[in-house]
Amino acid sequence: MNGAPRADEAALELEGVSVAYGATWALRDVSLRLGPGEVVGLAGPNGSGKSTLLAAAAGLLGPAEGSVRIGGSDLRRQRPATRARRVAWMPQEEPPGDNVPLRDYVEYGRYAWSDRWLPPSGADRAATDRALTETDLLGLVGRGIGELSGGERQRARLARVLAQETAYLLLDEPTAYLDIGHQLDVLERIRSFAHRERRGVLLALHDLNLAARFTDRIAVLARGRVVADGPPTEILSPGLLGEVWGIAAEVRRDPTSGLPYLLPQLFERTPSRPSAAVPRRVHVVAGGGSGAALLRSLLEHGFAASAGVLPLFDTDTELAHDLGVPTAVELPFAPIAAETLGQLDRLLDAAEAVIVAPFPVGPTNLANLERLAAWVGRRPTFLLDQPAGVRWDFTDGRATAVRDELQRRGAASGAGVEAAIAWLGRLPSVSPPA
Amino acid sequence: MPPPTGPAGSRRRAGPVAALLAVGLVAGIFLSATVGSEWIPFAAVLAILAREVGLGGGFAPCAGLAVAPSQCTVWTEIVWDARMPSILVAVFAGAALALSGGTLQGVFRNPLADPYLLGISSGAAVGAAILLTFQLAVADQATLLPVFAFGGALVPGLVIYAAASGRRRGPESLVLTGVALSALFSAVLATFLFYNPAAGLQLSFWLLGNLQAETWTDAAIVAGVVVAGGTLIALSGRELNVLQLGPAIAESVGVEATRHTRRLILLSTVVTATSVAFTGVIGFVGLVSPHVVRLIVGPDYRKVLPISALFGGVFLLVAWDLALRILPPLALPVGIPTSFVGVPFFLYLLYRRRPVGP
Repeated sequence: MNGAPRADEAALELEGVSVAYGATWALRDVSLRLGPGEVVGLAGPNGSGKSTLLAAAAGLLGPAEGSVRIGGSDLRRQRPATRARRVAWMPQEEPPGDNVPLRDYVEYGRYAWSDRWLPPSGADRAATDRALTETDLLGLVGRGIGELSGGERQRARLARVLAQETAYLLLDEPTAYLDIGHQLDVLERIRSFAHRERRGVLLALHDLNLAARFTDRIAVLARGRVVADGPPTEILSPGLLGEVWGIAAEVRRDPTSGLPYLLPQLFERTPSRPSAAVPRRVHVVAGGGSGAALLRSLLEHGFAASAGVLPLFDTDTELAHDLGVPTAVELPFAPIAAETLGQLDRLLDAAEAVIVAPFPVGPTNLANLERLAAWVGRRPTFLLDQPAGVRWDFTDGRATAVRDELQRRGAASGAGVEAAIAWLGRLPSVSPPA
Repeated sequence: MPPPTGPAGSRRRAGPVAALLAVGLVAGIFLSATVGSEWIPFAAVLAILAREVGLGGGFAPCAGLAVAPSQCTVWTEIVWDARMPSILVAVFAGAALALSGGTLQGVFRNPLADPYLLGISSGAAVGAAILLTFQLAVADQATLLPVFAFGGALVPGLVIYAAASGRRRGPESLVLTGVALSALFSAVLATFLFYNPAAGLQLSFWLLGNLQAETWTDAAIVAGVVVAGGTLIALSGRELNVLQLGPAIAESVGVEATRHTRRLILLSTVVTATSVAFTGVIGFVGLVSPHVVRLIVGPDYRKVLPISALFGGVFLLVAWDLALRILPPLALPVGIPTSFVGVPFFLYLLYRRRPVGP
């Protein structure tokens, strides 16, 4: 195939590119590298220069400062037809144009490949077919472009760009105007295509969560400069979001994929305090989501809570953070460090009672239970029953032994959050504020 | 506002449509030769044309017709020397205007573009009028007319190009610029016509178009320029198709957008100027023809351009026949019937609801 990129295809490299519109810089000294098979998201606030960067990378903005090249000479100095065989560009908007049959429309992408004097060659027809297949539009070839729905139309534009058979694709907001289902669909198509066919894709995306989900790298633009460039897990941070977008947002991790996602906040969080009186504090030992209902219930009943030791990125950790609950946190899959145990001691010391949620216990978090043994005499302790028939002890019985030991030393136990709250109510020293 | 297109993306057969128009054009040429101040029988026309183009062999042109030989000689002169040049100029000028209209509509992505409405025709008329008013280069007038007309047409052509590349590029603003230019050039033209020291100019000829008094030289020049220029234009159908997505996207798929845009405007100006130099200003052929063709064969410029040329030729020929038949023996300016058809169509395009685009 003439257009398919070779494995040794050079990277698309922008070096020191600056573009000015009138007296204002749209891009300032931008350097960016896009390798074959790489999907790079371009993020940044409105007006940060994303569209300009994409057009510049496509070689469409006349020779200014810097260089834009794939191996050899500057793209901006190549003939349009030569350039169009290496880089395809899809702007955010497109004039409505004529009601051209879908197939003719996609074939526009073949302009640089096909011969002026001949009808479309076999290669042209095959490339058009592949582009239509890739975008799942083969069934609609009889339609006019003006009769397609928004999602179909966006896929048709993508097909036109794919038909160009370039090693690099520059897509400006390919998900604009699409509903969430079509956004996911289009981005998944782009990503899998790029990885499978080793095409480099640079795409501007406003939705950072989608960018984190579908790109290998994110480059962040602010006022025409690249201010961050790296894997989503590394660069998306509350600090960056505050700096570049001026928002307060939490960066969390999707427990299943490990990918970061953002939770913007509309206003500063104020910890809820149901009464002016200082509430009694209850420490919760949990993990893996076992403490969620308990933490909520405690706060609803007017108690203060603390939690730990919990692994970073655990759902309980995130909920505790959300609720403003002080938490001792340890790295995931790491044994609890002495320092963290010290934190736990301080939290236990500040609490009036301890409740142990039914969490799975393994070698790394066994220390939680062992530590409680030292406190069980000093702080009333309640053990929520482990669910029957579900394995929770992954320590060859050591956890069960510690649990039995706690009970022997006076820890109460029972099933369900309500039982724990009721137990708290019966404690003489611990009563919810009136 | 994109040009109106046929229903859906239907790919209608352009071949049969083109064939039908070609047959209609040839038939129209023969039939038109019978019409004029004097009606000449179709059989005589056929015989005269056959002999003149060398197909008639040794036959007398009017053999078999109950006509005196002297009458026959007169008819031959009328058909071959008076009517045929006018007919051919009508065909090629109509083709030129239709091609020019279709090209300008495509280049400006504006359904209201037309050499007449944009003032290019009036500009060409002013250029030609300068040559005729001041009686420059009397010996070479026929050959120099298109050159002067082109010089005159270039002025509105450049202004329109600048206006279309500028900030205010709505379809209406382009046409309003054209209307303003048209009014200006018409005023300049009228000044020349009143000054007119050598009485070489006729007001109605220049302002409303006329196909009388064409010569074989005129016809040869119009035909030559229109065939050459028209071929170059029609070969740009692919580029015009892609240019409908805007110059930036066109560049990105490999079209040299600026070069092709300039080239197409220049070629449109050349073919328009050449025809205006010999016919005066004829309105609406360039507006109507491509639209009608698009309705029939769809939006593909590779088909729209050549078929529009055929349609424009037929359209102007029919208009010319009407001009001769409405108030005989008077020959009306040919721009009158084209305006009767064109103005309602223009208003329809102007007020038609915009198609819903994504």
